[in-house]
Amino acid sequence: MFFKEDIVPQGADRWIHWLAPVAACAPAFICFAPVPFGRDIVPVDLDTGVLFILAISGLSVIGILMGGWGSGNKYSMLGGVRAAAQLVSYEIPRVLSVVPILMLYGTQNLRLITMAQQARWFNFFPKWFVFYPVIGQISFLIFLICSVAETNRTPFDIPEAESELVAGFHTEFSGLKFAFFFLAEYAYVFLASAMAAALFFGGGDGLWVRGGIIPSWLWFLAKTSVLVFVFLWFRWTYPRLRVDRLMQFCWKFLLPWSFINIALTGAWVLVH
Amino acid sequence: MTLYHILALSGVVFSIGIFGVLTRRNILGILMSIELMFNAANINLVAFNHYLHPGNVWGQGFSLFVITLAAAEAVVGLSLVLAIYRNIKSVFTENMNLLHG
Amino acid sequence: MSLIFYVFGALLVLSALGVVLLKNVFHSAIALVMALALVAGIFVMLGADFLGASQILVYVGGIMIIMLFVIMLSQQPVEALQRQVNEQWLLAMILSIAIGAGLAEGFKKYFAYHFKSPGLMPTSVSIGRLLLGEMIVPFEAVSLALLAALVGAVLFSQEQKDK
Repeated sequence: MFFKEDIVPQGADRWIHWLAPVAACAPAFICFAPVPFGRDIVPVDLDTGVLFILAISGLSVIGILMGGWGSGNKYSMLGGVRAAAQLVSYEIPRVLSVVPILMLYGTQNLRLITMAQQARWFNFFPKWFVFYPVIGQISFLIFLICSVAETNRTPFDIPEAESELVAGFHTEFSGLKFAFFFLAEYAYVFLASAMAAALFFGGGDGLWVRGGIIPSWLWFLAKTSVLVFVFLWFRWTYPRLRVDRLMQFCWKFLLPWSFINIALTGAWVLVH
Repeated sequence: MTLYHILALSGVVFSIGIFGVLTRRNILGILMSIELMFNAANINLVAFNHYLHPGNVWGQGFSLFVITLAAAEAVVGLSLVLAIYRNIKSVFTENMNLLHG
Repeated sequence: MSLIFYVFGALLVLSALGVVLLKNVFHSAIALVMALALVAGIFVMLGADFLGASQILVYVGGIMIIMLFVIMLSQQPVEALQRQVNEQWLLAMILSIAIGAGLAEGFKKYFAYHFKSPGLMPTSVSIGRLLLGEMIVPFEAVSLALLAALVGAVLFSQEQKDK
């Protein structure tokens, strides 16, 4: 793949064609900064960690639009526009599904969120957010579904759609540029799993961490790996959603449920 | 990096934005230059908040509202541009002269 | 830290010049994306971390994507060869340089003193308290304005249904 010839189509915009993979891939690596890989193992201890990750994830949509436009190809542009519409739509329930966590723990700092999940109910049951009745499960499901859509994975992979638009917005990219687009997608899959592990599963918390028998980063990596497996599992199992049904699913189902979720979390915070 | 340097920077960006608004022929270029002007004003607000009133965050709150209203204005402006394009099939301002005297 | 500010400032001026001078309107949109990201970086340097992240989320991740959509939907192949700057450019350049110089003089007169730069603190909690405390009326008014903008945008972008 490194030695493949780098083809730029004749009608393509050279600068945009050259910059598109960079703009799609660079935000994926920046986003890993506030993620807590274990107890006190954080590259950058950001106080606006959650907002930072969600904001920078939105930057890669620009890269996809540039890729679709810079190919000089009608079908690539169509694929790029569809991909951008899907990504922007699914960003909203994703952000809203994280809001209950912010309401409950009162901080955006990912390390503090994982530390707050080290408490225990009845002295043995971990107080991870996903175990909170109703609100934890709804939040986790909405976050998972929206992350699958954000990373253009099946069942939401109309932008890539090997059988429909040739390869969507990255048709005209070859060699390392194509590799960058896919590297961005897989980096986002890992990032979404790491975020879900930190926000919902208490990342780094688990059995025998306190005694130092099993290190906290091993637990974090184990949880992230299970979630990456869930992403791959979706790809093997589900067929592709049609574009208009995909948008309907986001705006008419996920968004109202995320609002209901926020209201229920408000009720929970009021009661406790 | 004193306050004056930041204000000079935002002044330069603001005047570049004014140049863009007055000279661009493409109406989307005019909208983008307006966004540049909004951002220059935001830099000013945040700089004043940081240097002159370090205790509170009123400048940043004001700036947040400017960002929100700029978003609303951009959305309405862009839907107008789309409606105009659908009718006259051009985005250049010299073709939009139906009300010309 | 001063070095970062000078680098960001120089890149910001270059991107702004790219927005107003580039021939291809898609290129100037990408230059505007770079300018907005640099402004977010300047916000973070000035201690406004929540505002910087919101700037990227709203401006770059929202407004610029809509603008890129409209640019892609309203493109015409012949326009790429025409000039983008109209015939009043000399007057506009004189005017904008005059305004810029006037601003710089005004700032130098009042603000060229050395103000102590305080430490950087997280601002999310303070902004939350401000928005729901003292600035609650503008907060609710802005939500009404956003609703009006939403309805207006949907109305204007509908196809005309001729009877």
